[in-house]
Order: sequence, then C-alpha cells, then structure tokens
Amino acid sequence: MSVTPFLVLSAVLFGVGAVGVLVRRNAIVVFMCVELMLNACNLAFITFARQHGNLDGQIAAFFVMVVAAAEVVVGLAIIMTIFRTRRSASVDDASLLKY
Amino acid sequence: MDLLYLIILIPAVSAAVLLLGGGATKRWGHLLGTAAPLVSFLLGVVAFARLAAGDEEALTQQLFTWIDTGGFHVEFGLLFDPLSALFVLLITGVGGLIHVYSIGYMEHDARRPRFFGYLNLFVAAMLTLVLADDYLGVFLGWEGVGLASYLLIGFWQHKDSAAVAAKKAFIVNRVGDLGMALAIMLMFATFGSTTFAGVESGMPEVSAATATALGLLLLLGACGKSAQVPLQSWLLDAMEGPTPVSALIHAATMVTAGVYLVTRSHFVYEQSQAAQLAVVVVGLVTLLWGAIIGCAKDDIKKALAGSTMSQIGYMMLAAGIGPAGYAFAIFHLLTHGFFKANLFLGAGSVMHAMNDEVDMRRYGALRAVMPITFLTFACGYLAIIGFPGFAGFWSKDAIIEAAFAEHIVVGIGALVGAGITAFYMTRLMIMTFVSERRWASEAHPHESSLVMTVPLMVLAGLSVFGGVLLLNGWIVDWLEPVFGPEEHVALPIPVVVMTLLTLAVVVVGAGTAFLLYARRRVDVVAPRRVSPLTKAARADLYGDALNEAAFMRPGQYLTRSMVYADNRGIDGAVNGVAALVGGTSGRIRRWQSGFVRNYALSMLAGSALLVLAVLAVRLA
Amino acid sequence: MNALAVEPFNVPHISYGKLSPLLIVFGVALVGVLVEAYAPRERRYLIQSVLATLGLVAALAAVVVVAAQASANNDGSSLGTIEAEGAIAVDGPSLFIWGTVLIFSIMSMLLFAERRLEGGITAFAGQAAALPGTEAEREAALRGIEHTEVFPLAMFAIGGMLLFPAANDLLTMFVALEVLSLPLYLLCGLARRRRLISQEAALKYFLLGAFSSAFFLYGIALVYGYAGSFELAEIDTAVSSTTGASGLLLTGMALLAVGLLFKVSAAPFHAWTPDVYQGAPTAVTAFMAACTKVAAFGALLRVFYVGLGGARWDWEPLMWLVAALTMAIGSIIAITQTDIKRMLAYSSIAHAGFLITGFIGAQQGLSIAGEEISSLQAVLFYLVAYGFTTIGAFAVVTVVRDAGGETTHLSRWAGLGKEAPLVAGVFAFFLLAFAGIPLTSGFTGKWAVFTSAWSGGAWPLVVVAVLMSVVAAFFYVRVIVVMFFSDPVGDGPTVAVPSALTTVAITVGAAMTLLLGVVPQPVFDLARHAGEFIR
Repeated sequence: MSVTPFLVLSAVLFGVGAVGVLVRRNAIVVFMCVELMLNACNLAFITFARQHGNLDGQIAAFFVMVVAAAEVVVGLAIIMTIFRTRRSASVDDASLLKY
Repeated sequence: MDLLYLIILIPAVSAAVLLLGGGATKRWGHLLGTAAPLVSFLLGVVAFARLAAGDEEALTQQLFTWIDTGGFHVEFGLLFDPLSALFVLLITGVGGLIHVYSIGYMEHDARRPRFFGYLNLFVAAMLTLVLADDYLGVFLGWEGVGLASYLLIGFWQHKDSAAVAAKKAFIVNRVGDLGMALAIMLMFATFGSTTFAGVESGMPEVSAATATALGLLLLLGACGKSAQVPLQSWLLDAMEGPTPVSALIHAATMVTAGVYLVTRSHFVYEQSQAAQLAVVVVGLVTLLWGAIIGCAKDDIKKALAGSTMSQIGYMMLAAGIGPAGYAFAIFHLLTHGFFKANLFLGAGSVMHAMNDEVDMRRYGALRAVMPITFLTFACGYLAIIGFPGFAGFWSKDAIIEAAFAEHIVVGIGALVGAGITAFYMTRLMIMTFVSERRWASEAHPHESSLVMTVPLMVLAGLSVFGGVLLLNGWIVDWLEPVFGPEEHVALPIPVVVMTLLTLAVVVVGAGTAFLLYARRRVDVVAPRRVSPLTKAARADLYGDALNEAAFMRPGQYLTRSMVYADNRGIDGAVNGVAALVGGTSGRIRRWQSGFVRNYALSMLAGSALLVLAVLAVRLA
Repeated sequence: MNALAVEPFNVPHISYGKLSPLLIVFGVALVGVLVEAYAPRERRYLIQSVLATLGLVAALAAVVVVAAQASANNDGSSLGTIEAEGAIAVDGPSLFIWGTVLIFSIMSMLLFAERRLEGGITAFAGQAAALPGTEAEREAALRGIEHTEVFPLAMFAIGGMLLFPAANDLLTMFVALEVLSLPLYLLCGLARRRRLISQEAALKYFLLGAFSSAFFLYGIALVYGYAGSFELAEIDTAVSSTTGASGLLLTGMALLAVGLLFKVSAAPFHAWTPDVYQGAPTAVTAFMAACTKVAAFGALLRVFYVGLGGARWDWEPLMWLVAALTMAIGSIIAITQTDIKRMLAYSSIAHAGFLITGFIGAQQGLSIAGEEISSLQAVLFYLVAYGFTTIGAFAVVTVVRDAGGETTHLSRWAGLGKEAPLVAGVFAFFLLAFAGIPLTSGFTGKWAVFTSAWSGGAWPLVVVAVLMSVVAAFFYVRVIVVMFFSDPVGDGPTVAVPSALTTVAITVGAAMTLLLGVVPQPVFDLARHAGEFIR
C-alpha cells in the first residue's frame, strides 16, 4: 500500500491546524490547532517509520506526545492567567504591545 | 668636520630655550639669543678656514637616517661646500649683527626674549636650508623659514595689519612651497633619490621635458621665497614686522633662499634652455617691477622693500644666465646682504628716532641730528646705486655685463634698472636726510645708542669694502668647485665702455632725483594728482588686484558654489534618503500590529515563501 | 521489524564525564524543584539563587575540564566525540557554545537575583496567580512573597540551551528546543510590574513558539521521511549520495529553517521579538536575547553545516533572502521606536541578520587577525561579543527607573547624561558597540562576519549589511543624543543604585565589550581552537 494517502492526510491536518491558528480567536482553540499540527507531524512520523522499516519515527511520535503534554501544562497555565486577568480568552484582546 | 651640526644646533637650542623658557629668560634672553648666531659664525669661520686651506672640496657630515621606508631612504646629512660656506658666513655674520642691533631696537618690548627666540629659529632654519645635502633637508629648512617669517612678520599681532601681512606672507609662500614639494616628488619619481649628488648624477639622462618641469617647479618655489613676480605681493606687506626682521628677511636670509635654490640646482637648469629662460625673464621683470614700486613709495621701509625685490631680480637674472652668471649672482647676493642690512638698520634707526614714523614726507634734514646713521646710510646708498669703488659697483656691474652678453634686451633692462635704482635711492636719501624738516610736532629725533650704531658701522664698512671679494676673481675661483669653470663670453662692446655707460645711466637717475626733490619743496602730504604710472606703482603695480581677480575671487566663487552644492545637493540627497528611510520605518512598523494571529500569518506566509524559494531554486 | 527482536540487548554507553555540564545543570534544576517543595519560604530565595549560580559555575568548570581533556586527546582532526549513542556531539563548537551560554547565564542569574532595585524583592511577580491590581496582589507584595521558581525554570531553560546546539539528531534537537522554550514562556509572564503586557508577551511567545515548533517538527518528519534517520551524519550521507531533486528534502529543509530562524528571530519570523522583549521582565529579556540567540545559532549552524551541508546550493539562496530581509527590517523599523527595550529588540533582529550573513560565507580558513579562522568561528566570536554587550545593555535598562518601575520610554531618558553620567556613558558605550564602532567588540565581530561573507562570495549581502549598519548607527546615536544633549522632561529619570549583582553584570559586560574590541585575539584563538563540527 502506498504511503501517499497517509502523507496527504497528514499534510491536510497540518494545513487545517495552521489555518485554524490564523482564523480562531479563542486562545484555547488556537492552542488546540497547534496540537492538531503536532499530531499531523506524528502521523507523518509513523508513516515514514513504516516506509523505512525502522522504529525511529514511532519513537519520535511518543516523544512528541510527551512534549505536547508538557506544552499543554505551560500553555494552559498562561492562557488561564490571562483569562483571569482580562476575563477574555480572545487572542485579539491581548494587543497592547505593538508597532 | 664633526662639529658642523653645531652650526645649526646652537641657534636651534637657543630658540628652544627662549621659546620654552618664557618669563624666566627675561633678563638674559637677548644675550643668549645674540650669542647663538655669533658662536655659529665663529664655527662657520673655522669651517671656512678648513675649506680654504685643505684639499677637500667640501666638508660633509652624515647625521642620522631620517626616513627609511621601503624604496624611500633619506639620510640626513650636511654639506659644507664653498657655496654653503658663503651663505653660512652671511647668515650668521650679518644675522649676528642684526641680533646685536635688535638688543637696542627691541629694548622696550615686553616680549623681547620671544623675539630673539623667533630670530634664532629663523637663523637655524635658514642654516638647515643651506647646509642640507638633500632636497628634502632643504625643504625642511625652507618650511622652517616660512614658519619663522610668519611668526616674525606677525610679531606685533595686536595690529590687524601685522596679522594680515603675516598670513599673506605665509599663504603666498605656500604656493611656492607647493612647487618645491612637487619638484622633490618628481625627483624621487625620476631618480629614486633626492640628494644633490643623486639628482646631479641622474640629470644628464632625463628627458628635456622632465628637466624643464623640474626647473620650472623649483623656480616656482624660488619665486615664493624670494618674492619674485608673480609671487612678489607678500614682501611689501611684510614690512609690518619690526625693522630688524625686515633686515633679516631682506638681507641675510629668507629672500636669498630662492637664489640659493636656483644656483644650487644649476645642474637642473643646465639641462633645460626653457627653464633657464624662465629664470631670466622672472629676474628681469622683477628687477624692473621692484624698482618702479620703489620710486613711488613714501614709506621708507616699503621703498627699501621694492629695492630688495629689484636687487633679488638682478641675482635671479644672473643665476638664469648660466655658468657666466652664477658666481656674480652669489657675489651680488653677498654685497646686497651687506648694504641692504645697512640700509634697513639705518632706516630702523631713523624710525626709532622719529617715534616709529615711516613716512619720508615727515622726515627731512636728519643728517645733522643723526650723523652716524646718516654717514653709514650714505655708505649703503652709494653701494646700492653702484658708486665706483663701493661694493655694489663691482657686483652689479658684473651682472649687467653678463646680461649684455646674454642678450641685448636683457642687458638694456638691467641697465635701465640701475638707473631707476639710482633715482629712487637718491630720492629716499634726499627726503630723509637732506631737504628741509617736515617733522611732526612731537618728534624729537636723536642719535641711536651704540648697540644700534656699531652694527651700522660694521655694515657700512662691509658696504664700502665688500668689493674685495672680486679681487683677482677670488669669488669666481672659490665657487668653481660648485659651478664648474666660469664661461667667459665676449661682450659686443669693451668692458670700459660698458662701465662708463652704466655710470652715465646712474648719474642720470640720481640727477633726476636731485632735480625733483632737492630743488623743490617736498609736500608733507603725498600729492593726489599724479600720473597713472605713479598711481600704479603706489598700488604695487596692481599685484594684489591681480591676485584678487585671478585667484581670490574665483576661489571664493568656487568655495561658495561647493558649499551650495554640499548644502543642496549632497546634504539634500543624504537628508532625502534619511527621510525616506524614516518614512519607510514609520510605515512598516505598522505591520507589527500587536495581533498574534497577524504574526502567525506572517510566519505562515514566510514559511510558504521559504519552501517556494527552495523549490524554485532547484527547478530553476 | 522482527530482526529487532532477536538482537542481543546492548546497554547504551553513556560517558557521564563528558556530559557532566548538562547533567549538572539539569540536576540543579531538579534540586531546585525539591527546594521549592520543602524549603521554608523565607529561605528559598537565598538557597535558590546560590544553588543556581553555583550550579552554573560548576557546569562551567566541567566544560573547562571536558574541553581540556578533549584537546589533550586531540589527534589533529576535529576536537571531541559523539556521545550518548549518537544523540549528543561533544565537539569543539559545542564546548565553546556551552561555555558561552553558561557565562551569559551566570550574568543573567545575577540580574534575576537583584533585589535592591524593587526595594528588597525580586523583579518577578509575587504571586502570578493573583490578579493585577487586586488586594491579593498587594498583600503578596507586602508580605514579600516572591516566585523563586524562576531559578529552577531558568535552569531548565539553560539545560535546554546546552542540549540544543549539541544535539546530534533532530529528535533530540526538538526535545531540547521545547525544554528551552517552555520555561522561557513562563518566565516572560512573571514580571512584577506591568503584569498585563508581561502576560501578553507570554501568551504571544507561547502561541507563536508552539506554532513554529510545529513547523520545525513537520520539517523533521519530512527530512526523516527522506533520509530514514534523525541523525545528522546519516542525513548528510543521504543528501550526498542521492542526486536530483527531492521535494521531501527541500520542503523539510525549509520547514526546519523556519523553526530555527524563529528562535534566532530572523525576518519574517521575527514578529514575536519586539513584543516579547518589551513585555518580559528585563532580566529575562537579557537572558533570552543573549543565551537563546547563542544556542539557536549553534543549532542552526550544526543542522545546516553538518546535516544539510551537501545541499548548500539549495539553502544558500534562502539564507541570502532571510539575511537581507532581517537586516533591513531590524535596522529600519528600529529608527522610529520610542521604547528602549523595543528598540533593542529590533537591534537584536538586525544583529541576527548580520550573523546569518556571516553564516552564509561557509568558508574554511579565513585569515583574521593573523590567524586562520573559519566562518563558523567568526559567527561564534560575534555571538560572544554580542552577548556580553546585550546583557550589559539590558542590565542598564533595569536601573533607570521612576515611580512606576523601569522607565523604558525613550523620552524619559532625556538628560540622563547629566543625571547619571556614568550610567549614561556605559549605555552609550554599549550602543556604540552595537553600532560596530572600532575599539568595541561590535566592530571586531562585524568585521569578522563580513570578511567571512565577503570571501564566501556573498559580497552583495555585505554591501547591504554595511548600508544597514549605517542605518542602525543612526538610531543608536539618536539614543546617545537624547541622553546627553536633550533636556529632561518633567522630573527626569532617576538612576537607582543597584546591588553588587547588577553592578557586576554591567561591569563584566562593559569590560568584555572593550576587551574584545581591543584585544580580540584570545577569543579568536579559542574559537579557532574549537575547530569544526564533527559528524
């Protein structure tokens, strides 16, 4: 079976995530879109691991999951604080720093 | 001789002591300053005796390596040959007498030690100039003289006119220095050496064009220092300095530097007819130019300055004639050094007596109150007009003869110059010492003190007996090692006739002056309605006007247009670019909108750009 | 797959000695977490600050020992070995970067530990969870509560920074990137004053950082897909052995570049830099600007020289584009900035451009200062020079204050030259170094990277770089003019007297800036000695 469909799916997921980051306002959703991009990477890793017949890609996927989990901790902490301060999770509201 | 360097070093050290010592030298500064050139004079005499007695052609001394960079190597060496020897004796001897005289003349000046420091600096620089064995060494002295003359002419800098005159002398001299510097560079480029010996040995091989260029550049340098047309304009203004300075500049040092340079570089001029001709023309024009100016000046010092210009013109003329004239140029230089120092110091004595009045129309009948000054001045006067037996007679006569041998036009020019000299010197003599008193009411003339009159007497003696140098053709033989054998050229007319002709012209000149000034009343105020020639002569024959029209105005216009171009063009462009960058900055900083999603978009776009760029490069 | 099962189990060989700098830093970070859990609150500041500083000094000493051993075993080729089963390269450039990062970290820790400027407490939020302007926050401030967690956080970040440039495979590099980034996101949000912009900076940095990591990771995936391995050496083999275009490799390479260029704040991935530098606590900004840039450039150089060296002709045009754009954007936008920290951020962007210019040279054996030096070493020198100056400059920013804390608006700096000539003079000196005026390290550094780029054939880029240096000089000098030749507005700024900690940081920064400008030779020698990356 060809690897192409898996890679296309991975690219589509990555693209959906990237566009989601651009169009969604809620910081949590933006962050989830980034996670979607990471998972698109995971799919690519697994696919390539299968293609090359080695385990490196699969191991990478586990690492990415761990990193993503750590990122969630940090990310939610930051988003939480800013939500408490501003009573809003909209990323557009946080725009004091500019020019 | 190993002590050769002391001739320069002693005045130099003395100058350093006096200039750095400040007020501490107040009491003995003038004595130290006077002793320095006199000691140098004694050393010069010793060296002269060695040279005269021994078989050596010249005394030399290598002092140190001055410049050593790759292909350019300059040793600092001294050369005491017969030519340098005469200059050393003149500079230190006459210079020493001027120092002595200055003790009296500057007695009431609070800055006398500084004055003596400058004088010593002047002497040291001039000695460097004549003792160096390398054109670069000459240039060092050359610039030193320029600096010292600037300092001395502007010594009374509280007077605007003195400051301006000093600046003018300096700037005009810069023009000449440029020629000298270019000549030295050309020498280095052509010969790879700047020593006299190196240039002399290389000269026969160079092209005529190079020789002419070298000759003309050196002549430009000489014109600057010796106040020859067209760089003559500074000399009359330089009278703003104290009178001993005028004497020093005119008689013993500065103005003779140009003659020295031309005669020293005889090997250059012998390779180029054109350059020689240029020297002759410059000399001839200047001797008439200076003489005409001298006729119209009422300021005693300016009249003498015109005469200096004229007499240096004679020397240049002789130097340009070639081997037939070199020795006479130097001979006239020496006798002129004697009688011109005599005349200037005499004029200083008169001014000293008349409360620094310089206008001869306010003098008259001074012979009775100032007998010593009168008698010594008379000796100088007779010498300069060429009265038979006096120093100037021998030297000027020789030059006029050589001029006739060169070309009839040159000869007639020189002869006419002698007549005009007799005219203006007689005029000066009558207006100052004879005729009736026209003193200002507060003037109480008196004879000067001994410290001033003794140098006058010595110089008067030299003015009378200076001609002995030509006895048995001594000076010609003496200089033969430097210039080679004298060329005797046949005169179209016998020498005796020549001499009588000259005398006749001198008598006509002096007689005219006598009729005009001794037989008629001299106006106290200079008459306004005068001939155009007199007007022109009073205006220094429009030398300054010419300079202003030809150089100053175009220069100022050039400066103004460059300032304009700088302000509008360059600054405009720079400011425009700056404004453009600033405007761009103001506009693109808005891209930084503060919205994180915008940033993400720019990143995504950047990523796409990068990917596309990489793929495009590979496909292209 | 089945083959794997029958292979005998090999215990991985790890030479703990050579990795000791990393282990010390991570170990101290973990101990710091335990201290937070068990030590009494009032003692934590002292324990944490001393622990962190000592840990860094110990790590620095370990680097020196490892480097000494490596050069003793030097067989004439490149220095060092690849450790941890191919995951970490302990080679000359790694050791050089480790030393540099650790020195800058120690200076940054001094700024972190500064307490006198805020009247006895650190510049970090007393209680990050307390809302700004509430009673809870005031109470926390009154009770002198501080977040001493900043020390372990910083230690984790430093550990990541050490691992990042030394990572010999892309997966380790990704993990290191996250280890260094995550604590920094948090540190940015911990300012005691101006909490809103501090939190905003943290949010922006976090979202964009995560976004860029995703690109980086996708790049890794594609390159892995192309080469079948994460190891740089094997990627290099794959690149060199195959001919013809590969969309996977090229796209992956570009995406890897995105992730790395984001960290060095190169345009067009620079957008976060001004906002984050301005919003973060100044000590953190100094730390980020110096250490992150060094680590990220180390990783960038390693990936592109070692892993993708065979594809040089593909990535060079891309880097030309990025370098020119970065220098132009950084220099030009800086002109109209009115906030000192923001201006320094744009300056940092411009410097990233100059560094990339040097990186493009990719030349071996340049002759600089009478010694042969490669463009890698020129870039390393520039990083050292830039880091000292940057930390010093931001340290000066922390001491210029008014009632509301640090006063960073440029107009408030007017007349500083009269108020505090020494501080203003030192800051002016740093600015001149940024501008690359001779007798400062900035000049030597610029000269080294420009020479490298020029001899590498990138002369149009050098022309752009010099032009942009001129533009940059304008705004540096503008600050000097404001400080010395403008009259103060209102009360004018005051310069608080810092404790010895900040003073030491500023002094070391200024001294090294001068020293590297006057006698750069020893550091050039050190960089030359570090040699090249090993594969």
